[in-house]
Amino acid sequence: MNTNGDNSSQITPVIQVSDLKVRYGDKSALNGISFDVHKNEILGIIGPAQSGKTTLLKVINRTLELTSGTTVEGSVKLDGVDISTINDVYGLRRRIGMVLPLPVGLPLSIYDNVAFAPRTGGIRAKSELDEIVERCLQQAALWDEVKDRLDTLGTKLSGGQQQRLTIARALSHQPEILCLDEFSIAVDPVTTMRIEDVLDTLRSEMTILLVTNLVQQAKRLANRTAFILNGDLIEIDTTEVIFSDNPTNQATYDYVNGNFG
Amino acid sequence: MQSIALLTLGAVFIPVWNVLTKTHLSDVQTSSIARVSDPLPNLLSDLYLFLSISFLAILLGVTCAFYLEEWLPQTNWIRRLVESQVALFSGIPSLLYGLLVVTICLPYTGAFKAIEASLSVENLDVTPLSATAFQGDTTLFYAAGLTFVLLVMPRAIKATQEALRSVPMPIRESAYALGASQWQVLMKHVVPLAIPRVLAGGCRAMSCALAAAALFIGIYIWGHTTQSGQMSSSFALFLGGALLLSILSSFLAERYPSVSM
Repeated sequence: MNTNGDNSSQITPVIQVSDLKVRYGDKSALNGISFDVHKNEILGIIGPAQSGKTTLLKVINRTLELTSGTTVEGSVKLDGVDISTINDVYGLRRRIGMVLPLPVGLPLSIYDNVAFAPRTGGIRAKSELDEIVERCLQQAALWDEVKDRLDTLGTKLSGGQQQRLTIARALSHQPEILCLDEFSIAVDPVTTMRIEDVLDTLRSEMTILLVTNLVQQAKRLANRTAFILNGDLIEIDTTEVIFSDNPTNQATYDYVNGNFG
Repeated sequence: MQSIALLTLGAVFIPVWNVLTKTHLSDVQTSSIARVSDPLPNLLSDLYLFLSISFLAILLGVTCAFYLEEWLPQTNWIRRLVESQVALFSGIPSLLYGLLVVTICLPYTGAFKAIEASLSVENLDVTPLSATAFQGDTTLFYAAGLTFVLLVMPRAIKATQEALRSVPMPIRESAYALGASQWQVLMKHVVPLAIPRVLAGGCRAMSCALAAAALFIGIYIWGHTTQSGQMSSSFALFLGGALLLSILSSFLAERYPSVSM
């Protein structure tokens, strides 16, 4: 398995996953996967349903702990520190932005949705919050549509708008890592393209993990792509290699070309 | 767990059966005839008893449900024990609780003795004998209170747990992912969404208790005396309260049909 698709020597791994095994009760979700995520790259993660993509993201921000009956073995290191040894789990989660597959508007106004994380992080000044809210909504390509009604409930927006709201929310605490879990499910293609443009520009500021069911999306955006199948990491390499005619593994070729899955 | 639940059931109802078979109707009759005059103070004391005890029971039930649901894992034995007991006690028809208080609590409180004693001395006196009975023996007050607690609390626990479970998991997950602590998630997101259902459940529990009281008093008084007065006013109070609360509960359920977004 090639874990170092880009051979330039000054690449620093932000996340190091080594031999990660996750079980829900008796059912195994991830059977020992290892890979690195490099700084300021977009890592596309593709694979069919039930292959453990979402579980992987949940391990990284430690929300898997909220589900009872799960066991996690192996280690995930963030900037060289094993995340399971971090005591301030809330601080850890604030370093990682998370966008869930279906848009989940918290039952708050649009403004409060975006200002929620900065507030829990201790920012109280109204001017500062205003600034963050505007910046994040603009980054998520939502500002123009909602700038006149920031006080309406976030849940009153349309599905696509709500999804962009969750992206704005995930950016609001200035995360080092942004995890997107199939963000485009509820978003129309035009908006998807706009968000993809946003992600493209965010690449210079943060590291992005992009879990997606649209293999073409990974092809468009990702620097490197990982293919996960039934809890095993089949292959991780630069996107060009994964989507070329001769990736290392035949299953990868079949999956990205739509021959199965 | 089920066997413990069955044992509890046995422990509660075997004495009930014993006392029921030994109780003579004449005992009950004397007490009902004894409480004929001065309806208003008794009405107020009933109201006071009912409101304070139900409030305490619901508060206790809601707190208990929050603790069980939010802090204890599903596999915890305390949680399993409490849940099996709750299932048991909320399944008992509420009329049986009325029998419970008469058969278990009344004989032990000495209320009958007090009534009999006062009857033998001042049989034709108009002074409220029930007041003597209640004031002379506060344990009767506590017995009635305890029955209300036993009736209301399991229903309050059950309703609250269901309300908490109805809050969609993604809402919790996205709040946690933003770095909110458990307390913040609970107070800012879960409680606002769950509170209508908690209130509706509390109303339903109280309505149930009132209906049981009304039913029992109704049977009690129509079975043994034709005299109007304190009994019938209590009956009206309890029945009216039960109706009002069940209407309120269905209003709440209609007004907030679902908390899912």
